Amino acid sequence: MATVDTVSQQVDRVDNTTDDPTVRAPLVLGGKDFTAVTETVASIAQRKPPLAWYIAFGISLALLGLLGACLAYLVSTGVGVWGNNQPVAWAFDIVNFVFWVGIGHAGTLISAILFLLRQNWRTSINRFAEAMTIFAVVCAGLFPAIHVGRPWLAYWLFPIPNQMGMWPQFRSPLLWDVFAVSTYATVSLLFWYVGMLPDLATLRDRAVGKVRQIVYGVLALGWNGSSRHWHRFERAYLLLAALATPLVLSVHSVVSFDFATSQVAGWHTTLFPPYFVAGAVFGGFAMVITLAVPARQLFGLKDLITLRHLENMCKVLLGTGLIVAYAYGTELFIAWYSGAHYERFAFINRFRGPMAWSAWLMVLCNVVAPQLLWFKKARTNVWVMLVVAMFVNVGMWFERFVIIVTSLTRDYLPSSWGGYSPTWVDLGMLAGSFGLFFTLFLLFLRFGPVVAMAEVKTVMPQAHLKHPTTADERKFDYQPDEHHHHRPARGGHP
Amino acid sequence: MDKPTPQTGKQYWRSLEVLAETPQVRQLIEQEFAGYDPAAIQSMSRRGFMKVMGASMALAGLTLSGCRRWPEQRLAPYSAAPSNRIPGVPEQYATVMDVGGVAMGLLVSSHDGRPVKVEGNPSHPFARTFGGRLGAADAMAQASVLELYDPDRSRQVVQRDGQQSQYSDWEKFSAAAAAAFATLGKAQGQGLAILSEASSSPSVADMKRRLLAAMPQAQWYEYEPMSSDNRRQGTRQAAGRELRDILHLTDADVVVLLDADILASHPAHLRYAADWAARRRQADQGNMNRVYIAESRFSVTGMAADRRLALRPARVMALLEALAQRLGAVGGEAVSLSDEERKFVDASVADLHAAGKRAVVAVGEHLSPRAHALAYAINSALHSGAVRYVAEPGVDRPSHVAAITELTRQMAQRQVKTLLILGGNPAYDGPADLEFSKALGTVPLSIHLSHYDNETSALCRWHLPRAHYLECWGDGRAWDLTPSVAQPLIQPLFGGKSVIELLALLMGEALDGEQIVRRTWQSILAKDDFEKAWRRVLHDGVLREAAGAYVQPQAVQQSPTRSAASSLAGFDLRFAADYRTYDGRWANNGWLQELPDPLTKLTWDNAALLAPADAQSLGVSQGDLLRISVGGRSIDIAACLLPGQPAGVITLPLGYGRWASGSVGTKVGVNTYPLRTGQDMHYVGGATVKRTGRVYPLALTQDHHLLNDVGKQARDARIGSKGQSGLIIRETTLDQYKADPKFAHRDVHGGVHLQLFEPPRKFNDPHAWGMAIDMSSCIGCSGCVVACQAENNVPVVGKDQVLAGREMHWLRVDRYFKGEPADPAVVNQVMLCQHCETAPCEQVCPVAATVHDTEGLNTMVYNRCIGTRYCSNNCPYKVRRFNYFDFHAKDPRGGAKPWPGLPDTQQRQAIDQIKQMVFNPEVTVRMRGVMEKCTYCVQRIRAATSERRIAGQKLMDGDVVTACQQACPTQAIVFGDLNDPNSAVSQLHRNQRAYGVLEELNTQPRTKYLARITNPDPGSAPAPKPGKDHGGH
Repeated sequence: MATVDTVSQQVDRVDNTTDDPTVRAPLVLGGKDFTAVTETVASIAQRKPPLAWYIAFGISLALLGLLGACLAYLVSTGVGVWGNNQPVAWAFDIVNFVFWVGIGHAGTLISAILFLLRQNWRTSINRFAEAMTIFAVVCAGLFPAIHVGRPWLAYWLFPIPNQMGMWPQFRSPLLWDVFAVSTYATVSLLFWYVGMLPDLATLRDRAVGKVRQIVYGVLALGWNGSSRHWHRFERAYLLLAALATPLVLSVHSVVSFDFATSQVAGWHTTLFPPYFVAGAVFGGFAMVITLAVPARQLFGLKDLITLRHLENMCKVLLGTGLIVAYAYGTELFIAWYSGAHYERFAFINRFRGPMAWSAWLMVLCNVVAPQLLWFKKARTNVWVMLVVAMFVNVGMWFERFVIIVTSLTRDYLPSSWGGYSPTWVDLGMLAGSFGLFFTLFLLFLRFGPVVAMAEVKTVMPQAHLKHPTTADERKFDYQPDEHHHHRPARGGHP
Repeated sequence: MDKPTPQTGKQYWRSLEVLAETPQVRQLIEQEFAGYDPAAIQSMSRRGFMKVMGASMALAGLTLSGCRRWPEQRLAPYSAAPSNRIPGVPEQYATVMDVGGVAMGLLVSSHDGRPVKVEGNPSHPFARTFGGRLGAADAMAQASVLELYDPDRSRQVVQRDGQQSQYSDWEKFSAAAAAAFATLGKAQGQGLAILSEASSSPSVADMKRRLLAAMPQAQWYEYEPMSSDNRRQGTRQAAGRELRDILHLTDADVVVLLDADILASHPAHLRYAADWAARRRQADQGNMNRVYIAESRFSVTGMAADRRLALRPARVMALLEALAQRLGAVGGEAVSLSDEERKFVDASVADLHAAGKRAVVAVGEHLSPRAHALAYAINSALHSGAVRYVAEPGVDRPSHVAAITELTRQMAQRQVKTLLILGGNPAYDGPADLEFSKALGTVPLSIHLSHYDNETSALCRWHLPRAHYLECWGDGRAWDLTPSVAQPLIQPLFGGKSVIELLALLMGEALDGEQIVRRTWQSILAKDDFEKAWRRVLHDGVLREAAGAYVQPQAVQQSPTRSAASSLAGFDLRFAADYRTYDGRWANNGWLQELPDPLTKLTWDNAALLAPADAQSLGVSQGDLLRISVGGRSIDIAACLLPGQPAGVITLPLGYGRWASGSVGTKVGVNTYPLRTGQDMHYVGGATVKRTGRVYPLALTQDHHLLNDVGKQARDARIGSKGQSGLIIRETTLDQYKADPKFAHRDVHGGVHLQLFEPPRKFNDPHAWGMAIDMSSCIGCSGCVVACQAENNVPVVGKDQVLAGREMHWLRVDRYFKGEPADPAVVNQVMLCQHCETAPCEQVCPVAATVHDTEGLNTMVYNRCIGTRYCSNNCPYKVRRFNYFDFHAKDPRGGAKPWPGLPDTQQRQAIDQIKQMVFNPEVTVRMRGVMEKCTYCVQRIRAATSERRIAGQKLMDGDVVTACQQACPTQAIVFGDLNDPNSAVSQLHRNQRAYGVLEELNTQPRTKYLARITNPDPGSAPAPKPGKDHGGH
């Protein structure tokens, strides 16, 4: 850390949040060259982490233990240990599932869609976000498996040939979920891992100690930086990006089908697929901000994950937030316009019924709070954006809660109307899922290449054949298409 | 083995080495187990031990208790098979159950020697349903089979001495009793008192006669907390003799009821409900009866009545006086009435006059003797052809209250040396002011024969286990005195004895129950051909020709004087038998504890039922714990707001708060007997109510949460205003029905049923099962709920789970109040799986655990279900039920516990062996994590179709009867084949009142509802709707 700090202290910070379109803002600050970038990122995995990491890891591990205890209690006793009941057959279990799947959206979106759209600023945060995606999908995958009444038979959801001659029932959206989420998890994992190969090789090369050398060695798959490797790597990465892009849209569309294709008033809405995708990106970016802000502080990554990166994410957050707000309005309008009694009531009840507090909390968090981000001052202040992101995290969880639980409490026959309140196991498992997520994430921070070093280097001026040395020249930023054949093979320019 | 003994003859050898007898071979032979060192076991290394044990445990685990999913079975082969029994084919036996001195005719199904389902006897005049083809039984009778297999039922003779109690046996008791009764016999029975519960049994009466003949000084008392003695007294004064009134509701166009819950609480309620329904069914012919009721509580009959007035008890009497005066039955000073009361009297008097002989007035059994006298006088004045009378049996006994008062006095004066209590539970349900329990402790020898070692047993020297009615011989008489024989279906599980067997034992008669009953019936049946007649009674379960002869009403003699008008200060408390636990005797019955009260939908509790207006003025809300005091006594009980409860009256259901009931019923609800004195057995005035500030959770199955305004508006749009249709409830008055016969189809939403594809099947091969539910005939008695629970092994979940909203009833009765809380109308809608042809549940199940069969059944495949609960979410009727825990294994009074073993083993190991005997073997017992729901009783469909197919016959309408239909006295539920255009269900589906609930969702339900028609008098009918004003489009 000492090295990094000295370097960054020596160089004046440049405000790279300029909005002047004629100026191409630098994406790496602190006067870092290739070596410094490698040093900054790779040293994180090599040093002892700061005390804060140990504290965070301890808390996460404790929560993970709570999750394990809750799981054992759940499986041995029955899903009745939750608060689910007769009208509300799905509650925290599916809310958590949809929440975590949503979180898992930002990573692949940043990696794949922004890659295809040539948004170079993504390189500093994509690794981060992809890791978050994988871990969020792990959390998401847990809930459908354990929410069933007989979890030991959950594998029946997969089309495995069996002695009963039974296939799953392909008309069920739950089955589509199985395919959508497992495909998404597989492709995201591959994408993450393939993208990490050059960086793993860097870690391997710098590794001290046998264990690390072997582990990183195995994981790096024999990468040696040859042109052939780079060529194959770039092709594979492009292909995976193309493959992952439709998945970003499909997975949450399919998750929304669980609701959209059903009979329940408040669920039965054709708006859901785009609305859920926008909501997922919204929630995902909020989580990236939530993770990135403390991590860049903690591990000295401020020069790589610059304020411009954070501001860009805030803009995406605001944009998707507006889509979500529009969707809320459309839902209400269509409920009124349909004239259908049950549909109308579902929405009146959502905002005026006994659980209206959750709907208003959702509106406050998802619609009102992000409006702060219209202001540049807010977008460039890490504290403000952290608070807004926290609001959005809470709001997006409650959005799923409102849709799932409130709609179920009062459906068609008034005799069956009920309520819902969670038990300690519900709360324990929600907290526990964060424990699982953060445990995995902190381990990754500790041992993985948290920033895509190789990719960052490609967007640095030094990567250009004619890299700008003066302020004037800096106006002409790197264009990846033109300089595709250039590799950051040489050492950095001081 | 030293050296082989010389052998003669040819020797056989195993190998050449053996033949050669080398030293090595000899050494091997000398070792019995070659290569085995016994010392190795003793000195086995720790490692070796672990190796051997690990391997053997792993093997045992794999093969014995490990990966195995089939149930372990214990076989108990018949050593001598009973004749005429086909294994697996249930047999039915007719019998009777006596409750409060009236026998109910039953037909009990027995599976391989286990009685598992109690139904009504269709041959019995007081159990036959509307139509007469089936036999109805009420919730309590049906649930009695659960009592039979109750593990808490008393299993042993218990001897107590002060605080000491010890298990004893019948031999020791016999020895002790023989000595005591020998002494008593010498003293002509001086010092012997017998306290019996009411019994209609001719054999008990016969044994009583014999006992009193042998011991003339003995005293025989009878006590029942729910007594009809006021009627005896009233009719004695009015008609000169004690009479029982038998209503013939089929012959009544106008029925005026005063606090008479004839459709649910009356001993003859099944017959009355069936007859009432016969007249409701004629709505389509425009010929319905009209029922008026004025009552001091909200009863099931009140829900079904066309015009209802809720009054304080004193006002009910005043109204009856006014009615009697207006009809010329009595004279005297005119009673002043309120405006509302006068309108009620005007309307009912006009209708009564118009109906002439086809009118009847009935009063509640608990009302004062004067009320019964007035009713008798009114019916005489009307020359009513709808009421007949039989002579009341047992006229020589004092009233129940007088009897227990006298007995307590004698006990307190130490005049009773030996007290024999036959059944009953007077220590719990005796009048509070008598202090019966205290007096009981002073009796030197007290003996209690009882099903449970209960509150009274605890105070007696001896507790004797009583045989359940399904375990012993007996007999009884119905409301009209029709006699029946009760026959045992199973040997006493716990060695109990019946009342007659105990009396025989005490009197030294060496007779068993069967011999006693046969001896009694020698005088009832024809002497010349006794065996044949006896067999016929056993088969039919009833001897119809021996019913009580109708008595011609005599000239009205005197009527008891009018009681002084009581003060209206304070609250009136109204004590009523609970619809589930009755007087408390069913408190340990889980099915009944969990049966929602027909009015309040309360389970696992009783509560102070309070009018919403009173609650408002007291500042009380639902669940507030109240302190109710009267006459220096007080209880703390939760408030339950009941629309339609008369203002100023608090109904206190009896039968809860038992302290020695068993693991299910002990400390459930609040004991309300402490406020009930011998003076005021049914009401008491001047009570004060105070809030304690505490809140008590009430487990309601409906209205789990109070509705806010938004919810109320939506609910009202769905159920409609008073007397009018809503989205899910269609109803109207008879006059409006005549004017607009197609009213039930007026408000249908979304009439266009767009279908993306043609359904691949019609689901009608070879049958098309369907159901019709007539909301005009349903009274909401909830007998169907228990029938379904018993038939389909539906578990009891417990109060904690009802509070969590997880009750498991496959069939529920949705009760909707309409109109103002002070004067509401009630609609009951029986809700069960609708078997939608385009079932929303089927489409969303990822593992195809719920699928349609070719006959239109929406089937559940339990072993395929993994429990995603998606089907439940997608069911617009919310009729699917999920096993959140292993509810059969869970103690209903305790929380669910983790099960460390394989989940499949939980039920077999955790459920009591005796409890398991109640399971219907035709229906899967579902484990935890599995969804379940109504199957239209698929097991009954299969049994009926198989039987017909084997016989090579066509299935006839009526061959398949679902359990709910079977139990329904009014036959509001009809099931059958829609392929047969003449079947009852097809005809009902074609009825213009038939509609499908939530049809607009294109679910295409196979269950149709017949819109409710009421017949209010023109004065109280709601104003007709001005055209088609329904909003929402």
